Amino acid sequence: MSDLDARLIAAHEAGDKPALVTLYTEAADVANDVDAACFYLTHAYVFALDAGHPAAATLHARLVAQGRES
Amino acid sequence: MSTVTDLSNVRTGVEHANGLPNAHYIDPGVYAEERQAVLFDQWAGLAVASDVPEPGDAKPLEFLGMPLLLIRDKEGEVRVFQNICRHRGMILVEKPRKIEGAIRCPYHSWCYSTRGKLVSTPHVGGPGHNTHDAIRRDELGLNEVRSHIWRDVVWINVSGTAAPFEDVHADLIRRWSEFDLPLHHGGTDSTFELPVNTNWKLAVENYCESYHLPWVHPGLNSYSRLEDHYHIEKPDAYSGQGTMVYRQLTDEAGRKFPDFADVGAKWNEQAEYIAVYPNVLLGVHRDHAFAIILEPKGPEQTLEHVHLYYSVPDTDDALRARNTEQWKLVFEEDIFVVEGMQKGRHVQGFDGGRFSPVMDSPTHCFHAWVAGQVEAHRSTAKAAE
Repeated sequence: MSDLDARLIAAHEAGDKPALVTLYTEAADVANDVDAACFYLTHAYVFALDAGHPAAATLHARLVAQGRES
Repeated sequence: MSTVTDLSNVRTGVEHANGLPNAHYIDPGVYAEERQAVLFDQWAGLAVASDVPEPGDAKPLEFLGMPLLLIRDKEGEVRVFQNICRHRGMILVEKPRKIEGAIRCPYHSWCYSTRGKLVSTPHVGGPGHNTHDAIRRDELGLNEVRSHIWRDVVWINVSGTAAPFEDVHADLIRRWSEFDLPLHHGGTDSTFELPVNTNWKLAVENYCESYHLPWVHPGLNSYSRLEDHYHIEKPDAYSGQGTMVYRQLTDEAGRKFPDFADVGAKWNEQAEYIAVYPNVLLGVHRDHAFAIILEPKGPEQTLEHVHLYYSVPDTDDALRARNTEQWKLVFEEDIFVVEGMQKGRHVQGFDGGRFSPVMDSPTHCFHAWVAGQVEAHRSTAKAAE
């Protein structure tokens, strides 16, 4: 298990939504292809929406730019 | 097939009428019929707006088995939604909490704004694809239940078919227009619940009339005698009682609650207690008010939610606690009566009872309304067959 996976699992267990936003964004940034990146960006965006996190607008824009969100 | 009760003698004049038949208090089929006719089709009390004081506050509630979500949206408006996701019907909010951003379904994470708009449908078009032509977000917002706030009570019309609240209750709104002033909930020490083993209607029926006061509330006798009370009756809308000798609560130091500003001299010693059909009991006085929401929990169970209000946000803690205690005592004194009448509804052959033509007319007014709503519902159902 990668360090990132471990940190994601820990953040899920703790219900730490700001950390989930950060970690899924990180996972998107290091993903090998656009589909994988958009999968992680989606999770980052959803947790940002859930938490009212200021990153939601940026994440939304990144998904829109890839044609994955409206 | 539900039991079809004979209501032919309920709506006749109070001198000759019988009360509602037993089945209206104990029969699950009639309970289900009334759920639609008398509660879902009307403006029923669900909760109070003070339950969600801040934007984002959300409180899941169950109303006659239906999961609902009471929420104050980010703009401060109180709304009621069906508490289920439009995707798979999953319960959205399990416990009262603050919605920081969006309402996220815990199942597949569809997200809704606090105004009910569907804002995110993750992976709906496949992994990482969050849109699909077939899933039109503007058609899949949370289903909102029609609601209206009056005197802090959140009234809902589940069927969406009732006339506007302001029309249905125009007369009462006008009657109490002098009290159309800001109400300040007394806070956690000014709310309590009373679980009662009774059909909710018996709590209404008891509340409507003053006939029982000297017998059930002898403590009131010293200053509030039967002859100091008057009936309040508005057929098809509300009924209750008023008193001409309201005395303000005063502590040892002579302190009282401040009056509602400009409420008028008429209310110096007058107070009114009105059952707003179907299930809300309201009281107004020069210096405080209360609302009781009767939550039907089954044919023979009711949860009474009591809330006390004042004219200003900050009142004396001890005086407020004393007032809560005083009202709690009065409402608890009524429990043996409504539970006793409930037990009595299991006597086969009971004819629904008779009314004092002089003292029971507000209660008869409620029976007649219930019977009228049930009969109208039956007529509609029959016409649809």
